Amino acid sequence: MKPIPPERYIDGVRQGDRRMIGKAITLLESRAARDRGLAQQVLDALTPHAGRGLRIAISGPPGVGKSTFVEVFGHHAIEQGHRVGVLAIDPSSRLSGGSILGDKLRMPRLSSHDDAFIRPSPAGEDLGGVARRTREAIVVLEAAGFDRILVETVGVGQSETVAAGMTDLFILLALPNAGDEIQGIKRGTMEFVHLLVVNKADGDQQQAAQQAAHTLEQALHLMHPPEPDWSVPVLTASAREDLGLEKIWQAVERFHGMMQASGRMAARRREQSLAWMWALVREGLEQRLREHPAVNLEQGLLERAVKAGRTAPAEAAERLLMLFSRPL
Amino acid sequence: MNDSDRSQKLLDQWHKAAERGLRGKPLASLERETPEGIRLTPLYTETDLDGIDHMGVPPGITPYVRGPYPTMYAGRPWTIRQYAGFSTAEASNAFYKQALAAGGQGISVAFDLPTHRGYDSDHPRASGDVGMAGVAVDSVEDMKILFDGINLGNTSVSMTMNGAVLPILGGFVAAAEEQGVPQSELRGTIQNDILKEFMVRNTYIYPPAPSMRVVGDIIRHCSGEMPRFNTISISGYHLQEAGADAALELAYTIANGKAYVETALAGGLDVDAFAPRLSFFFGIGMNFMMEVAKLRAARLLWAEVMGTFSPKDPRSSLLRTHCQTSGWSLTSQLPYNNIVRTTIEAMAAVFGGTQSLHTNALDEAMALPSEFSAQIARHTQVILQEETDIPAIADPWAGSYAMESLTDQLAQQARKIMAEVDQAGGMVKAIETGLPMRRIETAAARKQARIDRGTDRIVGVNRFRPEEEEPPEVLRVDNSMVRENQQRRLAEIRASRDEAAVQGALKELTQAAKEARGNLLDLTIRAMRLRATVGETTAALEEVYGRHQEQARALGGVYGEMWKDDADWAALKETINDFARREGRRPRILLAKLGQDGHDRGVKVVAAAFADMGFDVDLGPLFQTPDEAAAQAVESDVHVVGASTLAGGHRTLAPELVQALKARGAEDIVVVVGGVVPKQDIPELLEKGVAAVFGPGTPAMESGRRVMELLGANRSG
Repeated sequence: MKPIPPERYIDGVRQGDRRMIGKAITLLESRAARDRGLAQQVLDALTPHAGRGLRIAISGPPGVGKSTFVEVFGHHAIEQGHRVGVLAIDPSSRLSGGSILGDKLRMPRLSSHDDAFIRPSPAGEDLGGVARRTREAIVVLEAAGFDRILVETVGVGQSETVAAGMTDLFILLALPNAGDEIQGIKRGTMEFVHLLVVNKADGDQQQAAQQAAHTLEQALHLMHPPEPDWSVPVLTASAREDLGLEKIWQAVERFHGMMQASGRMAARRREQSLAWMWALVREGLEQRLREHPAVNLEQGLLERAVKAGRTAPAEAAERLLMLFSRPL
Repeated sequence: MNDSDRSQKLLDQWHKAAERGLRGKPLASLERETPEGIRLTPLYTETDLDGIDHMGVPPGITPYVRGPYPTMYAGRPWTIRQYAGFSTAEASNAFYKQALAAGGQGISVAFDLPTHRGYDSDHPRASGDVGMAGVAVDSVEDMKILFDGINLGNTSVSMTMNGAVLPILGGFVAAAEEQGVPQSELRGTIQNDILKEFMVRNTYIYPPAPSMRVVGDIIRHCSGEMPRFNTISISGYHLQEAGADAALELAYTIANGKAYVETALAGGLDVDAFAPRLSFFFGIGMNFMMEVAKLRAARLLWAEVMGTFSPKDPRSSLLRTHCQTSGWSLTSQLPYNNIVRTTIEAMAAVFGGTQSLHTNALDEAMALPSEFSAQIARHTQVILQEETDIPAIADPWAGSYAMESLTDQLAQQARKIMAEVDQAGGMVKAIETGLPMRRIETAAARKQARIDRGTDRIVGVNRFRPEEEEPPEVLRVDNSMVRENQQRRLAEIRASRDEAAVQGALKELTQAAKEARGNLLDLTIRAMRLRATVGETTAALEEVYGRHQEQARALGGVYGEMWKDDADWAALKETINDFARREGRRPRILLAKLGQDGHDRGVKVVAAAFADMGFDVDLGPLFQTPDEAAAQAVESDVHVVGASTLAGGHRTLAPELVQALKARGAEDIVVVVGGVVPKQDIPELLEKGVAAVFGPGTPAMESGRRVMELLGANRSG
């Protein structure tokens, strides 16, 4: 198949051609070495057109109803005149084989809407790779005119930190069983949550949800707020029955306004860019290390020696690093 | 020498003789474990009966293991009841009359998918499915044509309807009234088993909680007005068809029944006022012994469950059931073999003591039965009833060491699964957590892997597969003509009815739902009399209840696990890994279910298998239109779309998908079709841009390999 020239990607994305948006994300996702130059070229051309929207991370434990929440929340955004992009960070790597992407099954209305673009990403082998692809997909979607980007993630390992590092606002969903819930939320997570929502507040769960919200509110008082002028609201909602979404939307807007007025939004993004640069440096270093001919040559030998106990790990590491830094 | 010494000695003798015959192989090598977790051994003896409580209880006596009635078929044979529906009310009506004349003893109506889902035939979502898998019914007028010349006062009518139960039952009542037959004289059954729809078949409309209110209202209405009508047919059949083993089918069916009883009791009814009108529906597959045992165990378990509600009427604890031979067990390869399969399954149903039976026609796996195949199917039962001595003896397997032991063990396995449901807080709660679906899907993926590997053998599929296949003639439905007909009739009705009265009746329905008062069936009957349509009454409630969206579940690992050590499997994975290295990502496939058919076992098993092979698999929502599927394919930028179709909609929907992709500049995305596609339709699909068709019985691995070939060809150019 003939390669597609960079202008077609760039113009297509800028014109909102869904086929080219899809293909541009594929290009940026590609792990093939030959795609790298082109991908970088496209990304560089699109970056100046991105960044005008609001990037929202949505996290929560399995079963909390994230996709249903995204479906309903996304609809509210569209009703307010926004265009919504949905991405997911799902690092659940599989031993072998591919992945099953069922996101759209849970978002049937949003997925058939012209003002929404949902791109489920296959599970990657490492979080770094997943993070890079999601970050770049945000650029593509924003350059295509989507101004509310929802990044769905699971509260597993470091994925929440990664999601917080590429978004402006972090919404955490919780379940209405107060006692266990506090313990279920990692302390580290609480430090970057801007909005806490107790979901599934419907039917016979309403009271439990109120109670959970109350307990969470008290727990939050003891914590350092993520932004100086922002006290984290704790709201209840039922995405399934579309209850309480209005309030959440208002809180989001309020946060957005506050962050823009105070200049914190721009500052936060600058900090994120810096952190991102270093993340890329680390990722690049690792990749170069893996591909370094001299390292490759001795790697197996040293691994066997360490395994057999003939060489100390520190000594072997030093040897590999020396090979890497020595001029070829 | 006493008796026990003597039998021990005989047993030792048998052991020696058996081992001699095995030439060194251990006797244990002949044992095998069934998917239900029961060990089948070559010899059962008296000791296998130890501890079985039901021994010695004759038929017609609680717990009814040996049958619900004292003399069983010796007194009265089972009812031959063939499920059928032919696209239009006129064609179906002609078929019913003919069937009744030719020995049929009741009629059974199959509706098309838009009717099931509460859409009128002129709804845009209905286009591919009108009249495809059964008869399209939009209003009382269609109902009247359907039963024209059939006396509803003395013909028992069974209706397979779960989603749009209210307008269908309402329309049936209204049509009967206009025939001069009052509600109180109507006989028959409405399936009305919504729980299993959420579990496997997905032909639901509203979410679980309001759906249970509908069930409760129907039970209440019928216990007062329609005392001879069976209000629910609690169905295990669809669970089996979706891949459940006998223990899962048994356990979940009984547990669903329990949930309905609890719903009716919560509505204030006395248990004896409705429980005798609950009936069951089981699927009968090829595991002959297990299936006979299943029906015997089902009666035992139901009597146990109902005992806890302390009924006074013995009929409340008595399980009466309809059975259908397994559609899943039919093969499109060597289709005449299906006659043999159906005969074996019919015998299992009869030995198990069923009250009525549907025998599948040999081409039922591919299409609606033709006249010829329907006759063979019907006669299979007539032959069993009239040419054999089987009906002369009630529960002839009673006392068989093996059968009694299997019955007991199967009941035990089912009790364990039922306890798990109880622990989850009952069936409605369990369904919300997705547990039963996961169990069934796991069973299904394992079963498919066993078949693909050849451990489970199927003649024509993985044994003696023919090289050249002679396709039997199958009935083809001209969907566009049916659709136009229905649309014309709808326009006529809407033009001639009292519009204000109809709108008033619909508003009342909405109001009753909103305020949780009144009886929804009473109100629907009123609206249907006034010529409201199926779609309108459904929409009136949808305003309040919304439409249910299924929760996604997909499981990986189960299929691949069964292939771990297989060389072909490893080779295919390597091909896929090569592709991923070359292309920078794994091959990505969207599996789309087009149209209103909700059977998703096939597509889920394929998803699990493809993911285990190394594909990235996107799943589309159920009930997608071709255009929606194309949009999703483009956004996810997949290499391939696999469209799954089971209900005959492929001839309209697959070409529409090809066109929709083209319109989006995505003609390079390969389209393949899987599911029930008759051979004769394949050339047409290929001509219209479909790259490959995977018929029933295609092993998942073979489809995977073929898809990779198509991708290779597509890339190399």
